[in-house]
Amino acid sequence: MFSEDQRDALQEITNIGMGQAGASIAAILGEFVQLSVPRILILRPALIGAALARMIGKEPVTAVRQGFHGELRGEALVIYGADQCRELGGLMGYAEELDEATERELLFDVSNVLVGACLGGIAEQIRTDIGFSAPSLMADRVPVDALLQGAAIGTPCALFVEVNFRLERRSFASNLVVLMPEEEILVIRAALDRFLESL
Amino acid sequence: MSTHLDSGRLADFVVDRIEVGIFAVDRAFTVTLWNHFMATHSRHPAEAVLGRNLFECFPELPRGWLEHKIRNVYTLRNYGFTSWEQRPFLFRFDHNRPMTGGVDAMRQSCTFLPVRDADGTVSQVCVTVFDYTDAAVAHAELARTVQALEGEKAAQRKLIDELENAHNQLLQSEKLASIGQLAAGVAHEINNPIGFVNSNLGTLDRYLGDLLRVIEAYQGVEAALPPAARAQVEAVKQAVDLGYLQEDVGPLVKESRDGLDRVTRIVQDLKDFSRMGAADRQWADLHRCLDSTLNVVANEIKYKAELERQYGDIPDIRCVPSQLNQVFMNLLVNAAQAIADRGRITITTGRRGDEVFVAVRDSGAGIPDELRTRIFDPFFTTKPVGTGTGLGLSVSHGIVQRHGGRIEVSSQPGAGSEFRVWLPIEAPDADPAAA
Repeated sequence: MFSEDQRDALQEITNIGMGQAGASIAAILGEFVQLSVPRILILRPALIGAALARMIGKEPVTAVRQGFHGELRGEALVIYGADQCRELGGLMGYAEELDEATERELLFDVSNVLVGACLGGIAEQIRTDIGFSAPSLMADRVPVDALLQGAAIGTPCALFVEVNFRLERRSFASNLVVLMPEEEILVIRAALDRFLESL
Repeated sequence: MSTHLDSGRLADFVVDRIEVGIFAVDRAFTVTLWNHFMATHSRHPAEAVLGRNLFECFPELPRGWLEHKIRNVYTLRNYGFTSWEQRPFLFRFDHNRPMTGGVDAMRQSCTFLPVRDADGTVSQVCVTVFDYTDAAVAHAELARTVQALEGEKAAQRKLIDELENAHNQLLQSEKLASIGQLAAGVAHEINNPIGFVNSNLGTLDRYLGDLLRVIEAYQGVEAALPPAARAQVEAVKQAVDLGYLQEDVGPLVKESRDGLDRVTRIVQDLKDFSRMGAADRQWADLHRCLDSTLNVVANEIKYKAELERQYGDIPDIRCVPSQLNQVFMNLLVNAAQAIADRGRITITTGRRGDEVFVAVRDSGAGIPDELRTRIFDPFFTTKPVGTGTGLGLSVSHGIVQRHGGRIEVSSQPGAGSEFRVWLPIEAPDADPAAA
């Protein structure tokens, strides 16, 4: 799918994008953020569930999905453990006591920040513009390997990018997974070539 | 010359008149755009809002939260969202259903767009406010319908369970009723021959006694016989083994009478099983019934189990005490037989409403699930041949049913069983069809 140069460039661009994302998230939350080195895989859709389970574990999770569109098109999933992100309420301007609806709004808000920061960072590196649709709930407290069950993924293979976040001084942690269908890989390849030429 | 608007003025027109709220603020939250939709629904015309601070114009807005939200758009240079499902509205606007109602205010989903200047910096945020009232009302109706359906489904499930239960009970009672009729017929037919065999056997026993006495008298004078005659008698005595015969004939008759007693008991059980019998109902103290029954079965129990009586406060009930004694005896004997080595039998009594109960619990083997439905069937027994007739529980079931009561069974294989007999304090008169 990718030449070695393209693969290196993709990893590099993603790393830089995530660095910027970390900075913007830190600016928003006022806390230091640790991000893992992004893992980039090309997978057959049937293997995505297993890959998620391997990275995240067996505990039940809650997941938010958010579509993005533009030159790059795909879906981002933000996956939370049991505690979700209740403790970030204060940092995001929410009241102390959260009712069910507000807790979910906060979940969407945090997801939007993580997705926007990471994809925005990558888009900026390859000089393209992407738009987002509103986040929506994908699953509430289900096993990781059930997340994508029944999702009709009609693409022969998918680009899979995984990053995990951790706030240094809090227990908050979550995983961000970006999934793009096969045809987007061609778009990325063209963008990577542009990036390599500009070096 | 074309009178069409040029594209810039067309865009201005569309932004102003589109049926979506559109407004923009700068970094100081000063309003920089306020379209017709916002003006109409907020009842604040553009000229009253433009150039003023958003929160001064609308002090009811959730200020801290909204400032955060908009600042994040600047920081991330990216979109923000709210959805009516979590936050019904940003601005309290009247909805489009002043007549038909359904919600208190317009439901809104909002998108916060970063507005990039020519040099790429974000200096304003544009917010679009979409009216989702119709979707929200439809959603609420749908949710109500789903809830109603779920409720109906649960009620149906319950009805089906009840129906299944009733069906099983009906099957059981039909089975018992038809076997009861058969049993009554058979019992009646057997009763007559048993009667005369029994009485004949009694007479025969007496005759035999008499005959033996005569033979003994002859034996006493045998010595006086002439030698030839004595040898002749001796030969016959040898041939029939008179000594053994004299010894054996008594037990033989006794065993036959025991056997007949057992047949009589079985026939009596069969008759009890099929009808109430002639006995009259009377007011009786169940604790006294239990105590007298316990006296009768003391020998069956004392080597097998510790007996514990937990008698509650129960009134006298209208019943046929002799029949209930039979039920209690059955349950107690079964309980003792369920215990392999040594265990505990607990008798509990109590009252609930117009009913009293007598529960016999054992710490025995328990009843395997697959046998649970068969234990009340006539002739069903797990005991060795000759130990039980297989009629005990079905007779008990019949007696209790004719008293207007029921028997509940709970059992845990390996841990024991409990048979709980529920009886009405004043039973309705027996159903004539069952008599």
